[in-house]
Amino acid sequence: MSIHIPILIIILPLLAAFLVLLTRKYKIVLAAVSIITSIVFTLTLSSRVLSNDKITYHLGGWRGPLGVSLVIDGLGFFFSLIALGLGLLVIIYSIPEKRYSRTYYFLLLVSLSSMIGVIYTADIFNMYVFYELLSLAVYLLIAYPKTGVTLRASFSYLIMGGVGLSFFLLGVGFLYAMTGTLDIFHIAERLPAAFNSSMQMVIMSFVLIATGMGIKIAVFPLHGWLPDAHSMAPSPVSALLSGVTVKIGIYCLIRVVYTAFSAEMFFLINSHNILMVLGVVSLLFGASMALAQKDLKRLLAYSTINQLGVVLIGLGIGTEMGLTGALFHVLNHAIMKSTLFFCAGIMITETGTREVKGLSGFGRQQPAITFAFIVASLGMIGIPPVNGFASKWLICLAAVEAGYTILVVIILVASAISAAYYFRVIQVLFSNPPEQNHIPAHEEGQVIHKGNLFRVLPIYILAAGCLLLGIVPALGISLAKPAVSLLLSYVVP
Amino acid sequence: MNPVNISLLVFMIGLYGVMSKNNLIKKIMGLTIMNGSIVLFFISIGYRKGGLAPILEKGTTGGIPTTIFVDPLPQALMLTAIVIGISVTALALALIVKIYSKYKTLDIQQLSKER
Repeated sequence: MSIHIPILIIILPLLAAFLVLLTRKYKIVLAAVSIITSIVFTLTLSSRVLSNDKITYHLGGWRGPLGVSLVIDGLGFFFSLIALGLGLLVIIYSIPEKRYSRTYYFLLLVSLSSMIGVIYTADIFNMYVFYELLSLAVYLLIAYPKTGVTLRASFSYLIMGGVGLSFFLLGVGFLYAMTGTLDIFHIAERLPAAFNSSMQMVIMSFVLIATGMGIKIAVFPLHGWLPDAHSMAPSPVSALLSGVTVKIGIYCLIRVVYTAFSAEMFFLINSHNILMVLGVVSLLFGASMALAQKDLKRLLAYSTINQLGVVLIGLGIGTEMGLTGALFHVLNHAIMKSTLFFCAGIMITETGTREVKGLSGFGRQQPAITFAFIVASLGMIGIPPVNGFASKWLICLAAVEAGYTILVVIILVASAISAAYYFRVIQVLFSNPPEQNHIPAHEEGQVIHKGNLFRVLPIYILAAGCLLLGIVPALGISLAKPAVSLLLSYVVP
Repeated sequence: MNPVNISLLVFMIGLYGVMSKNNLIKKIMGLTIMNGSIVLFFISIGYRKGGLAPILEKGTTGGIPTTIFVDPLPQALMLTAIVIGISVTALALALIVKIYSKYKTLDIQQLSKER
């Protein structure tokens, strides 16, 4: 039994997904229980993973390089905890919404289980299959309300996502042509030899995979789908998209760059510079576009591009501190951004408008939600007692140590810009409400009781998490430590 | 001109179709062409000139092949990739049907003007 835990973590939500389709009454219980069981299973592995152990599970007993195996190491453990934890909160947040039928929970569970699949699998083609499954579920979740805007947003994401994953698959093809295996750890062993004989093919495969994942992460020139998809989706789905789905792209990038392409190659083909430049560009672009938005959720979507830039800069620096900062920022951004989207969902349904202007007076009506919103947005800006500060500080320190002082200036400028747009929202929240002139909202037709426990509970948990990680950053750093030491063990041969 | 180069050329044609066409269905056709080119690419990786189907007959010693075999793994992978490609296409076409019934147009320029 205990040997089979890795596959059970993936299979249980998938099994529950199909059972959810059969029942009408117990759909939420079933969904929540399966995710909780997966979390418990993941936590039972924590002691082994956190002591830098690696858990390998061979599917069907076939060993690599031919068979497909699941590997849980520090990196996978870190990302799967984020995905499962936030997934549970998203399910809880969706409970009061009567509009969400069985198919909604089905898609949610399929997307969560395929996320775990992407994270745990060591086979790079299997990673592609799970990623495509995840994407299909996510396209449908975005289009779930079936309004015109959501359909269009979903379609543009589908086109971009399809192209991105085609690039990824072509890159995988090049890797297979060079090494003759699809197991990521075997590729890492055989790639240096291939690099000496055919350097161009290695660079080609790196470029293809990085471009494919770049589309999924929405780095600056490839970001076109993100603002529509993240802002038009239903609020819990937006939280899932911004908090977790984008992080899966980052996970794949880290896995392929640091594990399959070993560190020598990483520096030989200057890919750390590429990551850094992409990070800087999308940081500045996201910040300045968010400044111009009138729509609350669109503002938050552009802010995602901004924060992912910070993560990419941290990855690009590539020192121990930089990587710790980047992974810690992944965790922090997942927590903060889902708080913000959850709050935005309540604000939009209560005030009946998506415009930032229409929020005036909300702060006096619901001080608790507003407080959570302010905590999370302070974290986004990077103000000390909240978690966003700790990770940004680590990345800035790493930049100074590695001699890229200019990056610190850029991160600070972007933080100042994000302060400008978040303070604009906070200021509106506390201003006096104008005369009654309701603009019809996009998300209409829901009756949600004020202060419904299931609505506010995830927000309080996440806001408390923001403060906790801000006051005791060592908690998050200790979670990211095994992952970092793992990545660096590939760097130093 | 070897099949790998041809498949990359077809990939580029598909990419061009996705990026430059205004009609939603033509975009999907581009995506399908990209998918097909990837199938061609993988199959041509596994191809060996004069290779046979990789079936080990009784009597071959220790599983070590005595003749040249075609690499079976890419073919198996491509079966999966084809299925995935079909499901993406089906989903995209379903979305297109919904979009058309809402807006009565398939042109992306006109769609972006709608609110």
